[in-house]
Amino acid sequence: MKNSIKVQRAIHDMTQADLAEAIGVSRQTINAMEKNKYVPSTVLALKIARLFKKSVEDIFTLEDE
Amino acid sequence: MKINYLLPNKYKTLGWILFVLGIITGIFLFFSDYESNILTINVLTIYNEAFLFSEQSGFFKIIENSILDELAALAIIIGGLLVGFTKEKVEDEFIYKLRKDSLVWAIIFNYAVLIFTILFIYNFTFFDVLVFNMFTPLVFFIFRFNFLKHKSLNYEE
Repeated sequence: MKNSIKVQRAIHDMTQADLAEAIGVSRQTINAMEKNKYVPSTVLALKIARLFKKSVEDIFTLEDE
Repeated sequence: MKINYLLPNKYKTLGWILFVLGIITGIFLFFSDYESNILTINVLTIYNEAFLFSEQSGFFKIIENSILDELAALAIIIGGLLVGFTKEKVEDEFIYKLRKDSLVWAIIFNYAVLIFTILFIYNFTFFDVLVFNMFTPLVFFIFRFNFLKHKSLNYEE
């Protein structure tokens, strides 16, 4: 699974720490998601999408194997 | 997400203090061949097998014992549990996953090391292995967890 969190973060001019604080997770979590090392839970994906005012599919997309 | 089994973050500092004090005392005891006489008091034992004084053998006896090693072991175990199983400042699903992954890693690594020592360490030296093995699962877990936590902070921007 890919995601565009880093792009969205740049658009909203947020650091990893800003985003982590805004949705109440650790900075490790944001970092791991941006590096595609962690697939977030549905709840967390929805929170991120809501913060950026996008749908989940705009931010998280499936990759071809 | 509901997270179980974890104590509040405020106990973590206490955990680290106990853990480090316990390990320092443990290392001191190891190098003095567990023969310290510090803090010798009367203790109750459920079952005791004495070599020399037969009246001290049997169930529910009061015997003399240096309790320094008991204190060190309890400090390492209780301290280690507090360090490993209190919440982080920001506790979330990814941190919880790191903790679980570290636990799996620590158990496998610990028993891999134990298998190796069973095969290649014999006689009384193996007693040291048994002593260390009381604590190594916790120690490996704490190291692995903190290593992964720090590793996942590195980022390129």
